[in-house]
Amino acid sequence: MCSKTKSSEALKVVVRCRPINRKEDAAGYDRIVSMDIKLGQVTIRNPRANPGELPKTFTFDAVYDANSKQADLYDETVRPLIDSVLQGFNGTIFAYGQTGTGKTYTMQGLWAEADKRGVIPNSFDHIFTHISRSQNQQYLVRASYLEIYQEEIRDLLCKDQTKKLELKENPESGVYIKDLSSFVTKNVKEIEHVMNLGNQARSVACTNMNEYSSRSHTIFVITIECSELGVDGEEHIRVGKLNLVDLAGSERQSKSGVNGERPKEASKINLSLSALGNVISALVDGRSTHIPYRDSKLTRLLQDSLGGNAKTIMVATMGPASHHFDETLSTLRFANRAKNIKNKPRINEDPKDTLLREFQEEIARLKAQLEKRGMLSKKRRRNSRRKKSVDGDNVPETEAEEDNDENLIEKNVGNYLKEQAERLQQEKAAIQDDHSLLADEKIKMIEEKEKMMDDLTKEQKATELLAVKFKVILKNFLLNFSN
Amino acid sequence: MADSWNLACDSYQRAITASEIESKTDPENEPYRSKYRARELLREVRALLGVEEEGGGGSREEDGDAGRLQAARLAVTEFRLGVNHTETEELSAGEEHLVRAVRLLERYRLAHDCVSVYIQAQNNLGILWADRGEIIIAQTYLESAESLYCHYMKKSGKPPVDPDEHFTSEEKRLTEQERAKRFEKVYTHTLYYLAQVYKHLKQDEKAAQYCHTTLQRQLEYDGYNPVEWAINAATLSQYYLGKQCYMEARHCLAAADVVFSKAGQVPSSEAAKETDEAEQERLDHLRQKKAEIARCWVKYCLNLLADARKKLEDNIGELDIDLQEELKAERKKQEDEKEKGRKKAVLFGSSDIYDSILAVEEKAECSLPLDFKEAREVFLVGQNYINEAKEYFQLDGHVTDHIEVIQDHSALFKVLAFFEEDYERRCKMHKRRIDMLEPLCKELNPQYYLLICRQLQFEIADTYYEMMDLKVAIGNKLDEMDSHTIKKINSLAQSAIKYYEMFLDSLRSPDKKFPEKLEDDVLRPALVAKFHIARLYGKLITADTKKQLENMQTSLSHYTFVVDYCANHEEAIKSVETELELTKEMVALLPARMERLRVQVSSFT
Repeated sequence: MCSKTKSSEALKVVVRCRPINRKEDAAGYDRIVSMDIKLGQVTIRNPRANPGELPKTFTFDAVYDANSKQADLYDETVRPLIDSVLQGFNGTIFAYGQTGTGKTYTMQGLWAEADKRGVIPNSFDHIFTHISRSQNQQYLVRASYLEIYQEEIRDLLCKDQTKKLELKENPESGVYIKDLSSFVTKNVKEIEHVMNLGNQARSVACTNMNEYSSRSHTIFVITIECSELGVDGEEHIRVGKLNLVDLAGSERQSKSGVNGERPKEASKINLSLSALGNVISALVDGRSTHIPYRDSKLTRLLQDSLGGNAKTIMVATMGPASHHFDETLSTLRFANRAKNIKNKPRINEDPKDTLLREFQEEIARLKAQLEKRGMLSKKRRRNSRRKKSVDGDNVPETEAEEDNDENLIEKNVGNYLKEQAERLQQEKAAIQDDHSLLADEKIKMIEEKEKMMDDLTKEQKATELLAVKFKVILKNFLLNFSN
Repeated sequence: MADSWNLACDSYQRAITASEIESKTDPENEPYRSKYRARELLREVRALLGVEEEGGGGSREEDGDAGRLQAARLAVTEFRLGVNHTETEELSAGEEHLVRAVRLLERYRLAHDCVSVYIQAQNNLGILWADRGEIIIAQTYLESAESLYCHYMKKSGKPPVDPDEHFTSEEKRLTEQERAKRFEKVYTHTLYYLAQVYKHLKQDEKAAQYCHTTLQRQLEYDGYNPVEWAINAATLSQYYLGKQCYMEARHCLAAADVVFSKAGQVPSSEAAKETDEAEQERLDHLRQKKAEIARCWVKYCLNLLADARKKLEDNIGELDIDLQEELKAERKKQEDEKEKGRKKAVLFGSSDIYDSILAVEEKAECSLPLDFKEAREVFLVGQNYINEAKEYFQLDGHVTDHIEVIQDHSALFKVLAFFEEDYERRCKMHKRRIDMLEPLCKELNPQYYLLICRQLQFEIADTYYEMMDLKVAIGNKLDEMDSHTIKKINSLAQSAIKYYEMFLDSLRSPDKKFPEKLEDDVLRPALVAKFHIARLYGKLITADTKKQLENMQTSLSHYTFVVDYCANHEEAIKSVETELELTKEMVALLPARMERLRVQVSSFT
């Protein structure tokens, strides 16, 4: 009775140390961090150590030193997580560390240089490559982009940037952000575009970008829905959600009010009376008492990632130089504690509120309406479904389809349209050669057929509207949906 | 001389502006630009005051007011420089300046134009040493600041000169009132820092006392936001709850209610819809905070009842009548002493709100309830606050909070049932719990609320179990159990089994397998669930011997699971020690009993 699938797994914590920078070099700061990549260990030495004080060593799932490449981190640590998300798990990656230790370099990197691209662009490539290679699956990918600044949530993809969004919970779907927009993306270019839009919105909103960005958290959310015929003969939809989190600099967290995120310094005194509540809360024994909710939207938003239904990676970033000993040590301590967080990831299968299901239902409805108008036959739909499953071997299928289409047109519009249809079919055969255009072009054809029937049907306008709607919805699907 | 004095004043003012205002807009790559400029200006001030860079000013011994004034000006400059260095992460330099400021004023520290600088320098030395992790040294400085304040107030009490005043012209001097305000604020910070120091030193009681005093001083000197203050006071009440200090807890809660009401009327959710967005947000915020305070009250009632229960319980968890009498007599004796104790505790409020606080306190008892009547009163107060909390924390939108409130409501009923002697009525209270918990359990998606679902399943199962036990007890009092009671007992037992099974099913892996090894957090609940299921199968009543045998077999297999699991996982034993003992006995006894039953069956047929 041994079960292989473990019900819980710990947060995966890796540490990355950036190279010493020119300024630090010039100032003659010592290196106080050393790493043993094989053992996954980081050792930090206190530059003001009393004689006899030993350096501190921490062990993590992996450590990446100054010589590490972006690809090392991605291939060893991130890739398995993205694969899980494609399977329908929730995944979260967040970078944690002091400002200037390479959080953004790790998450974003330099987009223009292939070997310096960070986690985000690499995962975009990964996701869409996987989808283009998969068979018998329909995918729907959408992206949202939000920012938390001083406990206020902003939708970076929304036109109205002054609007503050609310964090809510629903018994059926858990924590969510009310009215957060999301965009369906079909390829890397589109998802990059979405990210750029958000980044622009961010930079417009503030005059002092550096200061601002080091105080705000951003989360880029990619939701991947995948529909596949199961062994039971039913369509099953799995939904994986990927949170790409760029946290504010850890040195700012105490100021921006993120509790439970930042390791509390052992003895630092908080100067502002506005933190009196924190001091009091710290005295309260959590059992059988209520501690009035202290705003921490980030923690709530990521609660599934920190001890819930998700697989989570934390990349703790640090610098090697002696002048940041305290911050570096506290980052290591925090990362060390994070190892104890246990998640219980599960594949999200057949949730009620998928967009893919919504679209599928809408398509079915529109199809039924188009059929009523004689635009599509049931037979044809079945055929094209079959074709999808034997992708690549489409010649006989196309013929069958043409037969059907011919019958259909004969039945409905008579001889005049027959000629037109023949011409159309020739065009269509050409289109079929170009596989990637299948879905879109087919819809165009449907549209053309509608136009041909202009004179013959009084319901033309309604039909056209329907078809356009149909097309829009189909367009939102990825290429694997070649119906 | 006058010129250089004006120049010094001017530089000082510019330094303050640079340090406190301009620094806020410093760029990220030069975060301390304005601070550094302020430092230069302060150094100019010091030079203008006629002191060389090295050496310190304390060596010159001038007597009288002039000497004191000169020392004070220098000390203010040193103090500012010290703070400046600390803020720019140069702790050693900061310390030097601060120590110099303290040394300059040592002999004048009780003078009205020196005391404030002196205390502030000590505050900052405290902060500095805490930063270095030397909390004991921090404590020494802060406690010294605290006692100097007390000493000064006792001796003179005259509102002292604010440090910045040393560099303003006569006509810009502050009013006595403003001086007092600033000075009191400095001292409030001393206490606030001390609260943190005691917290670090794990002297929680002292830390709480200093937080309490900080809150009290905020009230007194009017520098607070009522909502924030009320939330803090309500939070502090939770500290006292943990220490079973119900009188203090109630005082904090009552004060929270009173001060919160200063923030304005909180409209109902309906009325709030009709205003514009910003206003709506503000009202929503108010409603939320009000609900938070209500939840603190709920915990107060709950803890008070639960504590009383613990005191009154006999060894099988029932109300001990003798103990009840004893405690009642004891309480009577203590009541007078309590009044005395009260006067010692820190109390909130100036006279104007003190009466209002007292009025709120009268709503709720703060001594342990010792019988049903008293328990019911506490329960009703709690239930009122439950409803208040629920108004904001509705299920749709606030799932987790809503459920926590409902769980508290259920817990209130559970503890009230303990005080109820009549079994039928007690059973009805448990039924109320089922009615509020069951729908929640059905509505929640375990994908997102696994933990909560498990808690609910377990609690519902336990409640059905409890009801069944009560029905059995009621049935046993009858001469003969009627079929209605039997049916009721069986259906309650089945419901309990259903929910325990549901809980156990939630532990299965995605491929539906029960885990080989249970996680720590579910170990005890899972084994207890198994144990209870086994017992419940043993309690099912049936006239059909075959069915009875089947039930016994099922019961045995669940008992066996527990025994086997503990045999294979020794670390589990300590978590279910008493249950395991009983289980082992059952595993030994049941086969014999079943054998006897089998013989009976075969002899009949």
